[in-house]
Amino acid sequence: MTQYIIRRLMWVVLVLLMITLIAYVIFFVMPPVDPARAFAGKRPTPELIETLRHQFGLDQPFYVQYGRFVQRLFLGDEYGWPGFGFSYATRSPVREELFQRAVITIQLGAGAAVVWLLVGIPIGIVSGIKRGTLVDRAAMGFALFGVSAPVFWLGLMFLFIFWQKLGIAAGTGYVALSENPVEWFGHMIMPWIVLALLFAAFYARMVRGSLIETMGQDYIRTARAKGLSERRVVVKHGLRASLTPIVTLFGIDFGTLLGGAIITETVFNMPGLGTYVVQSVFRGDLPATMGVVVLGALAVTVMSLVVDIVYAYLDPRVRYT
Amino acid sequence: MTQIAAEPFPAPEPHAPEFDAVPSTQVEGRSPWQLFWSRFRKDRVALAGLAFIALLVAIALAAPLIAELVGHGPNDRFQREMTDEFGLPKGPTGEFWFGADQVGRDVFVRIVYGARTSLAVALGATGAALSVGIVLGMMAGYRGGWVDTVVSRTVDIILSMPVLLFAIGIVAACSTTAEGCLGGLVKPGFRLVIFVIALFSWPYVARIVRGQTLSIREKEFIEASRSMGAGGRRIMFREVLPNLMAPIIVYGTLLIPTNILFEAALSYLGLGVPQTIPSWGRMIADGGALFDVAWWLMLFPGLFLLATTLAFNLVGDGLRDALDPRTQA
Amino acid sequence: MVRSRRSRGILAALAAVALLAAACGGDAEQPREAGEEGDLRGGTLRVQMESFVHECNFDPTCEFVSYANMIHTNLLQRPLMNYRHVADDPGLEILPDLAADMPEISEDGLTYTFTLKDGVMFAPPVDREVTSQDVAYAFQRMASQQQGNPYTYYFEGVIDGFELQKSPAEDVEISGIETPDDKTISITLSDPVPDILFRLAMPGTAPIPQEVAGCFPQSGEYGRFVISSGPYMLEGSEALDISTCDSMEPIAGYEPDRTLNLVRNPNYEPATDSPEMRSSNPDRFELSVNTNVDDIFNRIVAGETDTSPDDPPAQFLRQFAEDRERLPSNPVDVLWYIVMNLTQPPFDDIHVRKAVNLAIDKDGLLRAAGGELVGEIATHILPPTMGGLPSDEYDPYATEGFAGDVDLAMEEMAQSAYDTDGDGVCDAPECSGILHISRNEAPWTEFNPIIEDNLAAIGIELETREIEGGSAYELVSTTSENVPIGSHGGWGKDWPDASTFFEALFTSGAIQAGPGVNNNTGLVGITSEINEERELGIEGNLEGIPSIDAEFEECVAMELGQARLDCFNEVDRILMEEVLPYVPYRWDEETHLISDNITKWEFDQNAGEMSFAHIAVAS
Repeated sequence: MTQYIIRRLMWVVLVLLMITLIAYVIFFVMPPVDPARAFAGKRPTPELIETLRHQFGLDQPFYVQYGRFVQRLFLGDEYGWPGFGFSYATRSPVREELFQRAVITIQLGAGAAVVWLLVGIPIGIVSGIKRGTLVDRAAMGFALFGVSAPVFWLGLMFLFIFWQKLGIAAGTGYVALSENPVEWFGHMIMPWIVLALLFAAFYARMVRGSLIETMGQDYIRTARAKGLSERRVVVKHGLRASLTPIVTLFGIDFGTLLGGAIITETVFNMPGLGTYVVQSVFRGDLPATMGVVVLGALAVTVMSLVVDIVYAYLDPRVRYT
Repeated sequence: MTQIAAEPFPAPEPHAPEFDAVPSTQVEGRSPWQLFWSRFRKDRVALAGLAFIALLVAIALAAPLIAELVGHGPNDRFQREMTDEFGLPKGPTGEFWFGADQVGRDVFVRIVYGARTSLAVALGATGAALSVGIVLGMMAGYRGGWVDTVVSRTVDIILSMPVLLFAIGIVAACSTTAEGCLGGLVKPGFRLVIFVIALFSWPYVARIVRGQTLSIREKEFIEASRSMGAGGRRIMFREVLPNLMAPIIVYGTLLIPTNILFEAALSYLGLGVPQTIPSWGRMIADGGALFDVAWWLMLFPGLFLLATTLAFNLVGDGLRDALDPRTQA
Repeated sequence: MVRSRRSRGILAALAAVALLAAACGGDAEQPREAGEEGDLRGGTLRVQMESFVHECNFDPTCEFVSYANMIHTNLLQRPLMNYRHVADDPGLEILPDLAADMPEISEDGLTYTFTLKDGVMFAPPVDREVTSQDVAYAFQRMASQQQGNPYTYYFEGVIDGFELQKSPAEDVEISGIETPDDKTISITLSDPVPDILFRLAMPGTAPIPQEVAGCFPQSGEYGRFVISSGPYMLEGSEALDISTCDSMEPIAGYEPDRTLNLVRNPNYEPATDSPEMRSSNPDRFELSVNTNVDDIFNRIVAGETDTSPDDPPAQFLRQFAEDRERLPSNPVDVLWYIVMNLTQPPFDDIHVRKAVNLAIDKDGLLRAAGGELVGEIATHILPPTMGGLPSDEYDPYATEGFAGDVDLAMEEMAQSAYDTDGDGVCDAPECSGILHISRNEAPWTEFNPIIEDNLAAIGIELETREIEGGSAYELVSTTSENVPIGSHGGWGKDWPDASTFFEALFTSGAIQAGPGVNNNTGLVGITSEINEERELGIEGNLEGIPSIDAEFEECVAMELGQARLDCFNEVDRILMEEVLPYVPYRWDEETHLISDNITKWEFDQNAGEMSFAHIAVAS
């Protein structure tokens, strides 16, 4: 078991390095905006741009820059550990901004996760059990809708209907929990629902399909033949087998969300990692961009690692793949 | 692989997980296609979806005709009639069924043309993703060894990437020089969008194909071919591939709506096709800022987008159910 | 659940209104003109903006445009010279600020000697009088290469001995600046520069305390530690521990990308200043970033914030179009234009360029941008507010209602070699697939269909690429990219002199290699020698490109006054009729939406923004 964990950990580190390398290539080697130029003002001279480039460390060859980036990340820099460097735009450490915004993104993701698990899975189970009935059809209809709707449109429609027309929801933006819990909730509830709707729909469909598949297995028939109550059959045997794939999936999905739900944050104007990274990309603020990439990649890989370990614990066959 | 069972699908926001429940479609006796079709026909909802898609394709093809009937082209501006002095558009009227946009263009006609864009991009990107994914997936599954390792690890890495962010980065990066990326091969616009979408879609196809190939590889008829002296490539393309068609069709069909949404999301962020080519995502984005005074700009394209993805999902579900009797509702 | 939330919302709104009314009392009914001085004092001005738009993090040594420029010159900095911070022509006149009087000018016109006022103090914790060495230090910072400073452009070759040097600011030597005593500073120029006084009104030239700024040699670093010499300071300045460089923590009042709070500087002595330059009414300024522009304006309407420098979205313009008291509007000295690269076909033919000018529907562009409240149609380059001719006096490519005229355009196009059959439509191979750079945000997304249509009517097929604003500027301003046409761009003055409109945009000396460096995007005055010498990487037609270098040199040497202005207006005419690198389409209006809380509104014509120096709030 420990061997498995160690192997997986090494894989996490490797994936992290690969992703940051690719991100480096995309954002440093072909940046949308040359950061030295972006901060050189209205009347730049070539010398000025050279100076800024030197200040930002951009005059080094690519591999040197990347090496420095990795070193700084793992060993920390003058602003603390882990070292994300300083933002070109604000000349302040990226860390502060990253962590402040990560808090908001986590709130968004966690809240949405709670909603979609509480809504999606039960719907899927009920649908799976009552297969073919009206309940099933209605639930799957809802799920289909959720799967097909574009997130940004859904968000806009929600704002239009619930905020503008009916006036029962708060508008866009974010109010900190510590500042005003009521308003915090008011501003979070719509993004939570919009984000969760899509996942809930997917998970409902998946749980249903998985449950139906499982329930068709021989051992379920055996259990029934043994005389166990239907409920016992479903809950004790059916669910356990059908829900395990969801664990894996949840890990990845949640991990991805932690890296910043770009579209939801944009539509609802939340100051999370998603809006931060989009802003940074177009301002040429490369350290900030890389910071978000690292956090996001870390979140995904760590979550899938956790989930895989749990899975391996539950199903020993997995450990040998 | 350490991921068992669930094969997540790409989507601009959440992953769209689907249950990997398609077994091999070896059905003895009658032609499997006939059986499949008779089952599919019974699924009325799926048929409705198919009908809608057919209608959409017809509309898309007939777009110029429709434009002529209505009397407005997709890029004809009626600025002075349909916008006020502040540049704000006017809503649905007798002549402009879905209202006008900020430069006075007919929203209805643009939606009709937008169907072309969504279909073209989705089909193009999905086709590209399928081609690459099938080839690499088959090779990885059949040959095993280092080919498998390389392909699988690449798939893993791409699937761990922050898709939308990298898409933004690539599109933005390729827009900054006059000639685009890869020596002018990938220019901003249609080609770039298809390239980016395909880039992030093929891993899903590859993973599924690989899984399927692995299980087919052990079947007797493959062994039989091999013992008769057939080479690897021949086996792959003549024996394995036909047996992959069923899951490929299913997943391909289910991949299309995901890619439609992906294109819409890229357009929403300002990274999609240029605006002379109407795109539903782009229309929603442009209308998003004005949704409080011009609700029609956002509502109609969104409804069409929703309906289209819904239709493809219904058809995909129907196909899957028809191909595997066990999961049939 | 639903009902209670809604009624909770209503109750909250009512409570807020009641509180607001109680707090502000009768002042909210004050008319917008200045009442007695006492009535206008006090209160907090709250401003929200989509982003701070700082060039380099608020560091005065490299801030010199728009909002940061206004805040520094209005509230925080006392450069030698300054403006009145009011609207129109009176706002463009230069007056002494830190200097006690206009300078003494030597016989040869090269040395300007200023005597500083007494009693101008730095804010806490520096707590001492401003000396001439502090002014000299500001210039040293601008000349230090470590600063990476855009100001060098304005002073290199202007002030004697001002050169970019590798040493840190404190070691930089500028022979042309002398400080014989604490209250005297003399600046010697290498050649006469008639607009030198304008250059000495920029934030970067204001005195800077070395004991603080010396700890922050890198460009932009000092922004979080700015010590004011003006009537206001960063909130929390006094808490700065200046004992050593390491002990200094960023001042709480400025959080980059979030908040900027200013309070009164206790060391400020109004007697050293003049009320026509600064009224200093509010007790406090609260600036914050809100990335949702619609939200900002909803808040202004609701009274939760007072105003914003951002352009009000069209729906707000419409809503308040009748209530002009809430929607003041001022012309600013900004031109928006479409640039045609003179070296790239088919724009290397003046007939094509004239045809383009005749084809563009400028009225449509203005409408799409928001109408009259957003600007007026530009018929040539120099805005009327800068002394250019009004549009009804000079419109070389006049069309009915400014809507463009396809027939006239086709007549012009027919004379071009690119129209091989003379039918008025461009048909040579160079007429299609032309890369057109624009921006991917409003209103450019609305301009592009108009521009494409207009040009298609005369046979020019554009391939429009919409990209982010910064990227667009960078791409088109890189000479080696050879972009044929771009509609992404605008230009504003650096200071109130016409030369700032023509030098960077149209002289051959301004053309430089490098990413996004070149502002002369039309490549006026380019020759193949220059292309090779400066390694610009231009590929196109470099023969016979017109130039205005000689005319410009003549005008810029003239003394300030009507003759100089006439000279530049003539350059404008030559550019419009013989060179024609642009299609100018709009001179900007700055329209602001203001809340009821604002009792006095003023506009700073120089900065092109609202005037913090004279604004007043009720509470």
